[in-house]
Amino acid sequence: MTTNKEITPQDILLKADALRPQLGSGFRDEIVQSMYAEAQRITDRAVQQDKKQKWDLDQRIDRLVTSPIFGLPIMLFILAAIFWLTIVGANVPSQLLATGLFWIEEQAANLFTSIGIPWWITGFLWHGVYRGLAWVISVMLPPMAIFFPIFTILEDLGYLPRVAFNLDWLFKKAGAHGKQALSMAMGFGCNAAGVISTRVIDSPRERLIAILTNNFVPCNGRFPTLIMLATVFVAASFPPAFASFVAAGSVLVVVLIGVFFTMLMSWILSRTVLKGEASAFTLELPPYRRPSIGRILYTSLIDRTIFVLWRAILTAAPAGALIWILGNILVQDVSLANHIASFLNPFGLLLGLDGVILLAYIIAIPANEIVVPTMMMVYMGVGMMTDPPSYNQLYTLLVDGYGWTMLTAVNLMLFSLLHNPCATTILTIYKETKSMRWAVLSVVITLGTAFLVTFLVASLVRLAGWV
Amino acid sequence: MFENFSWILFFLIFLLLLVLVFFPQYGLKDRWQRYKIANKRVLLEDALKYIFDQEQQGHTVGVDALSGKLKISSKSAFELIEQMTEQGLITTQKNHVHLSDDGERLALQIIRAHRLWERYLLDEARMPLDQVHDQAKRRQHGMTQKEIDELDASLGYPLSDPHGDPIPTAAGTFYPHEKGIQVNEWEEGVLGKIVHLEDEPAIAFAQIMAAGLKPGQLVRILEKNQKRVILTDGEQEFNLAPAVAANVYVLPLSKEEMVQRDAIPLSQLPTEMEAEIVRLDESCQGFTRRRFLDLGLTPGTKIYPELDNSFGDPRAYRVRGTLIALRSDQAEDIWVTPMQVTS
Repeated sequence: MTTNKEITPQDILLKADALRPQLGSGFRDEIVQSMYAEAQRITDRAVQQDKKQKWDLDQRIDRLVTSPIFGLPIMLFILAAIFWLTIVGANVPSQLLATGLFWIEEQAANLFTSIGIPWWITGFLWHGVYRGLAWVISVMLPPMAIFFPIFTILEDLGYLPRVAFNLDWLFKKAGAHGKQALSMAMGFGCNAAGVISTRVIDSPRERLIAILTNNFVPCNGRFPTLIMLATVFVAASFPPAFASFVAAGSVLVVVLIGVFFTMLMSWILSRTVLKGEASAFTLELPPYRRPSIGRILYTSLIDRTIFVLWRAILTAAPAGALIWILGNILVQDVSLANHIASFLNPFGLLLGLDGVILLAYIIAIPANEIVVPTMMMVYMGVGMMTDPPSYNQLYTLLVDGYGWTMLTAVNLMLFSLLHNPCATTILTIYKETKSMRWAVLSVVITLGTAFLVTFLVASLVRLAGWV
Repeated sequence: MFENFSWILFFLIFLLLLVLVFFPQYGLKDRWQRYKIANKRVLLEDALKYIFDQEQQGHTVGVDALSGKLKISSKSAFELIEQMTEQGLITTQKNHVHLSDDGERLALQIIRAHRLWERYLLDEARMPLDQVHDQAKRRQHGMTQKEIDELDASLGYPLSDPHGDPIPTAAGTFYPHEKGIQVNEWEEGVLGKIVHLEDEPAIAFAQIMAAGLKPGQLVRILEKNQKRVILTDGEQEFNLAPAVAANVYVLPLSKEEMVQRDAIPLSQLPTEMEAEIVRLDESCQGFTRRRFLDLGLTPGTKIYPELDNSFGDPRAYRVRGTLIALRSDQAEDIWVTPMQVTS
């Protein structure tokens, strides 16, 4: 056969285009089918199966954990146990870390002063940058080092997909995926880790929903704030016998409000912005496995804890520096922080908060852990982040000194729950979605909700004359 | 001093606003201009598509028809026609406009984009069939040839849109699909498969959708007279006016399909009853179908519902040794034949 001219790639493509319509729609199905048939053939030849079905035990466990009577209670019990372990277990190491790290700060600052380095260098480096870092590490590290391994054990066991299976009906109504339950649970540990964990959701639209709404779950950087407010303000107005129940109950209510907003926002998103994104639901329920300790320690400590901590450190150091600068530069004998706070005050009052709270939230965008210490710094007029004094002193300071009411406390809890994600989480959203658009949207919807809700609550309470 | 502080802040905000408005490319001013250009393009593309459709049906288009269809003033319509003539997209004879070769190519490209988007929205985004037309209309504009080609490739070069209309290829050729027979002409009592639902006029299409008919469904005529046509799929009855029924096209079943008639959707399979997958529903395309195939839900595979959910949905099925949970709306797309239980 002779060819008049050479065949170019273009010709082949044209030929392919011309032949394509003859393929029929089912050829992809046939390819997959033949691949599975081949795999089946190889398996039949190479793998011997015991007569006895090996997933008898699995089946029995599955029946139990998904049963109508025990399914949900088991799930709630496990979740509550994880929280209890994390909060109680992290207390002591957190204290130790804080004491140790702040001791280093004091020694180093003394050393700097004794060799004659100007006070502002010492202050900036040690009371600013270092203190910010130390604070974030001591608050963040212990809970994460407890929460993540426990969570990873459940993941390795194969229990988590069953939770998604149990709860999917709820998420389906919101247009989301059952596996969002897992990323939400992860969000209790850290929202950035929660955003990363949405990788298990294979459907693009449902994954975006899970990413954008993850922040409505309070992470352990915000939990201390919620617990403190619940204890000092909400519980204080009840008889002491009930106080601790009321405190725990109000934290629970806040979490439930967060879940409610997650569902509401998922519902709205799936019907508006994300309407045209690709979607499909499948959920594999893998067999139960014995967790391997080495892998758990590796994934939970290196992949998750250290990773999240590192990102937090990167953002907390500049925040510490900024906080120190704002607290120590005086204009007309009043610190810059106070100037800004009084400028923001009218807006803060409109939301049932005040200027100091808003300022604390703005400069604590890098890490939510430092919101309360920053607030204390401004209220108490000292030049560095400060621990709240004892609960009784705190109550007197805020209520008598700065006009806090029950409304301020409740709205601060709501604002803390709903406001924008921390810088680490925003950065993670950007990296996971590779799109500025979704990162910006995650801030807009959370901040919008926070402003709207606090404003409505404040206005309602004022109209009703309760404050 | 504090007063000064406010002034500085005020000045900063003013500066920020200036930047927001006048920043090159991202500023509001440039964005507004881009928006106006994009709007013009949408108008031009709509005009081309309209003229193309009319010419296909043997009608000619004048200025009044164009301004009426696009909801613009006669003056704007004149300007539009002038602009299109300048670009060599149309020629004018007397009061009528005709598409040039370039214009026809561009019109075909828009139709291609529209039908590809319809496929995408239905298959990948699982949007209801009655919403895809409007959404696709919004997305079809301002796409380059390359973008359309990429969309086509990502969908696996589909031949027809969800309503059964052919999608032009990149070269601009149609591969006409078997259009089927209008259901009014179909013989009573014989089983047929719906191959095409005409989506215009929209009122008739809405009635077809409301009745619950979809492409790929197997139907049979129960009753046919001047007033109504009643179809059934074996369970439900669909009552249509003859004028509406004329928009439903059917074809006889192939031999293979005749064999699989006793199949039921997986969602209706009782728990613990083993079954064999016969086929995946034709309305299930794109992302979901690929996921099903990836998971090994191929024809001939044995499957049985193992784990019920106390809330009804999803249900977990044992397939090839693994446990996979599917929601009921997805299990509906998998057709199975129950196997005889021996014990």
